[in-house]
Amino acid sequence: MTPTWLNVLDETARVCAAHGRTDLIQWVKQKRAQLVDPKLRVLVVGEPKQGKSQLVNALINAPVCPVGDGLTTAIPTVVRHADEPTATIVEESGAAPVPIDDVAARISTAVSRRTDSAEYAEIGVPRGLLAAGLVLIDTPGADGDNLPAAGSSVAAPARADVVIMVTDATRELSVTEVNLLLHVVRSHPKVVVALTKTDIAPHWRLVAERNRQHLASAGIAAPLVPVSATLRLAAARTNDKAINAESGFPDLVARLKQYLAAKNDVLAPTAVGVLTATVIEQLAAPLRAELSAKDSEEPMARLYEAQRTLDELRRCSTRWQNTLNDEMTDLMSDIEYDLRERTRQIMRKVDDAFDAADPLRTWEDYQAWLEKSLTEVAESNFAWLLQRCDWISGRVADHFVRYEADVVPEWQVNMPDLTRHIGTIDQPNIERFTAAQKVFTGLRGSYGGLLMFGLATTLAGMPLINPISLGAGALFGGKTIRDEGKSLLRRRQALAKNATQRHIDDFFLRLNKECKDTARWVQRILRDHYTSVTEQLHDAIVHSLRNAKQAADADAAERNKRQMEIQQQMRRLATLYEQAQALTVRPEGPAVLEPVA
Amino acid sequence: MRDAPLSESVWTLLNDALELYRDSRPATDRLRHHMSRFGEPLRIAVAGPWQSGKSTLVNALVGDEVAPIEAPGGQAVFAWYQDGTEPHAMAYPAGAELPVTRSAQGLRVDIGRWDPAPVNDVVVTWPTRALRHATVIDTPPVPSACDKILRDADAVLYLTRDGRGTDLHVLEWLQDGMVAKAAPVNALMVLSRADETGGGRIDALLAARQVARRHQRDPRIGGLCLGVVAVGGLVALAGRVLTDTDFAALATLAGAPRTDVESYLLSTDRFTGAEFPAPVGVEARRALLDRLGIFGVRLAMTLIRTGSDTRAKLAAELVRRSGLTELREAVSRCFIERRDALRARSALAALESVVVAEPRSGSDALLAELERVLAGAHDFRELRLLASLQGQRVAFEKDLTVEARRLIGENGTGLAARLGVDQRATASELWRLSSAALGRWQEHSEDPLLDSDQRRAAAVVVRTCEGLLYSLS
Repeated sequence: MTPTWLNVLDETARVCAAHGRTDLIQWVKQKRAQLVDPKLRVLVVGEPKQGKSQLVNALINAPVCPVGDGLTTAIPTVVRHADEPTATIVEESGAAPVPIDDVAARISTAVSRRTDSAEYAEIGVPRGLLAAGLVLIDTPGADGDNLPAAGSSVAAPARADVVIMVTDATRELSVTEVNLLLHVVRSHPKVVVALTKTDIAPHWRLVAERNRQHLASAGIAAPLVPVSATLRLAAARTNDKAINAESGFPDLVARLKQYLAAKNDVLAPTAVGVLTATVIEQLAAPLRAELSAKDSEEPMARLYEAQRTLDELRRCSTRWQNTLNDEMTDLMSDIEYDLRERTRQIMRKVDDAFDAADPLRTWEDYQAWLEKSLTEVAESNFAWLLQRCDWISGRVADHFVRYEADVVPEWQVNMPDLTRHIGTIDQPNIERFTAAQKVFTGLRGSYGGLLMFGLATTLAGMPLINPISLGAGALFGGKTIRDEGKSLLRRRQALAKNATQRHIDDFFLRLNKECKDTARWVQRILRDHYTSVTEQLHDAIVHSLRNAKQAADADAAERNKRQMEIQQQMRRLATLYEQAQALTVRPEGPAVLEPVA
Repeated sequence: MRDAPLSESVWTLLNDALELYRDSRPATDRLRHHMSRFGEPLRIAVAGPWQSGKSTLVNALVGDEVAPIEAPGGQAVFAWYQDGTEPHAMAYPAGAELPVTRSAQGLRVDIGRWDPAPVNDVVVTWPTRALRHATVIDTPPVPSACDKILRDADAVLYLTRDGRGTDLHVLEWLQDGMVAKAAPVNALMVLSRADETGGGRIDALLAARQVARRHQRDPRIGGLCLGVVAVGGLVALAGRVLTDTDFAALATLAGAPRTDVESYLLSTDRFTGAEFPAPVGVEARRALLDRLGIFGVRLAMTLIRTGSDTRAKLAAELVRRSGLTELREAVSRCFIERRDALRARSALAALESVVVAEPRSGSDALLAELERVLAGAHDFRELRLLASLQGQRVAFEKDLTVEARRLIGENGTGLAARLGVDQRATASELWRLSSAALGRWQEHSEDPLLDSDQRRAAAVVVRTCEGLLYSLS
């Protein structure tokens, strides 16, 4: 009948396979092979120079591991049973047998540094203890905080059934040693602390007591066995049973034998329990993380993003319309003001000019000048209008910069023929001062003078027509003619001014109309254009919004499904975990592995 | 051409720094402290990990049982041992005197009743020749004590059981900073529990000496310290404080038939067991074990049997075998004779840390000047070269190596000692020898057959010879 632990282990392997964790399967398989193997792998660890190699030698009473002053074990050494002494160095490229006498030099280095490419050494010796199924693994000293190599290395704690931690009796356990132990007991049910070199330490009992206290306070349930390799080897030489008993090794050996016997019943279930717990923890961690992870942000984020863009577009649409309306209103009033200002200036000039000039004589020139001035006014005003329209178009386009659309519309207004608004100014009806009128006016003026002076001179006895009265008549006639001419000129000037005023008013009215029409036309073009742009953008955003919503919905559904799956997997893991726990708990009851007498 | 002596240029540098940092109280305090240290004995810290034998070695060096001083509650205390006329002890920072009791082998400082204030340092004055040129500091275990050791000590005896990597890291850490990296000349590594090598075999000390030599050849270790010495601290101390009672007990043991005693020397338990064959009481045997260790007992018995049959002879032989003599020679050669250079080095290191901690305008110039002084310090180069030659990391032909080591001051830094002649040699004789050496080594420094390391080493020797001629002129 297959033991329960084996079933649990196989179930663990299946779960690993279900999760697609090939790395874990590899590990489980390795562990399975190791547990099914009836041999007990004993890993000897500890800090350098504590007597690890000497402990191995003393255990089997054979100098297989090199020991000595300043010699340090550089590669792990596996000591197992063989009928004939053999030695093999295993390198990355493969294993190669070496003479048993040379192997020591390969294992150790004088100064602790690795130069060899060898991975580990394997030594076979004919010893009863080993034949019973023990495999001893001597390791290089764990220096500082670097814990023993993990993974598949032969010296990895994961591949050992029992760990012997070696510390010498000349001092108490150090912090790093306790840390090493804490690391090891997590994965190993059975750890033994061997207190070596009790032969040279006078106060080893005190040290042992202190070490037990350290272990207890660190919560490490490992028995402490004081041993002396020197005594053991001396006993072997003299075959002295008493000294052998004093060396403490019989206790250690008995303990190891008991572990060996209990491997299948106690060690293996516990190891499987620990292994399965570790594996489940590794498998469950990502699942748990996935469960507890907040709803995947991405689809929702896209949805929110799309909604925000839509709102933004709405605001943008209001903004550009406002801008367009405001700017256009401003433009129209500005253009009207500008036009009025310019025509007024012309009017002022005309007034000034006709205060002095006689329209009768300068009319031709004046007409040409006025036409030219008005053309200039119309052109600059209209040009300004176009410029402003362009600028407004730019202002509105600024609102669309974020959409990265090249949205400035293509519109073209050619300078229309503005001269038609000017028309021609007609010469006002001007009375001319003809010669006949002049004669008549002169006669009328001279009559009064002649009479006035004639009558006055008759008193002096002169005839009515005399040289003096004739002179006065001529004088008065001339003055009348001049006065008449002046008043006529003033009338002509007023007429010309009036005519110009009317003309300019007409011009203003027409051109203003033209400008306003153009501005409205532009406004309409811009409005239509940007409305269509907004509509296109709106369509695009609504489309992406819809997509995002669909994605979010799909995602939620997917997640729900995945969550169900995870929960199912977790339930399976939990069942397995309970089984593993049962394995670990069961042997704790009776003191199967408690220290031997 | 020769620069001003190192201590003078360091003194100038410190004064410049004082000027620059006159408004910073911590900086000036530190700098003044180092200036005052120029007149004091060299400070040698005995440092090492927990249970590496620091206090035992301090006792062995002082020659009396004065260490350890244990503060109540396991507080870390730096114990300073300095020379003086009367034994007394002071506790700092409180500055209070502690009661002391003098015993046959040494002194006990009663710190237990000293409770109100924390104690960081205890300064013990103890009349002994061994402390004439140096103050010895017993330190709490590294790495926690590293900072204070760096700050307070001029030189370090770094104790380790086996020179493992962790210990080297701490040693590296002790060489922190530009000054320390440029001149790692203030540390000796001591394999302090040499008597436990190889499980306490009878040739353990010899084996430990081999290990020390191997370590010294290792460039990783040689680059961090001036040398590696193996010392059996317990044996050394026993040699220095061996009493007649101890000797009598040992003599009785040695007198017992060898075959009877042999198996009872296998372990400490057997040695102190009730059925011990020789007529020495259990208490006496326990005392011997505490004093000498099982290795020391075996060694002492062998020595008595082979002729060291008086207390004085045995004590001398124990000291000789323990490696203490070598250690004292190394300390004298590397530390005491170079004390000016080491004190200057401490001052430079302190200056560096001040400048690094409080950079300000002008501190860059100070740092550059410091670098210049450091680069010109010939003492440091001599010490480094001596360590390389001893560790055989650089080697000439045998005669040349010997001459080089002598010239750069292996046997002493006096003129005659360097040139290998009698103290009474005349000035013209010395001049002749120096210029001959200069000529020879100049040739070596340009010899194309030598590799670059050798040529560089020869250049250091040339510089030394130039210095000799300068001091003669």
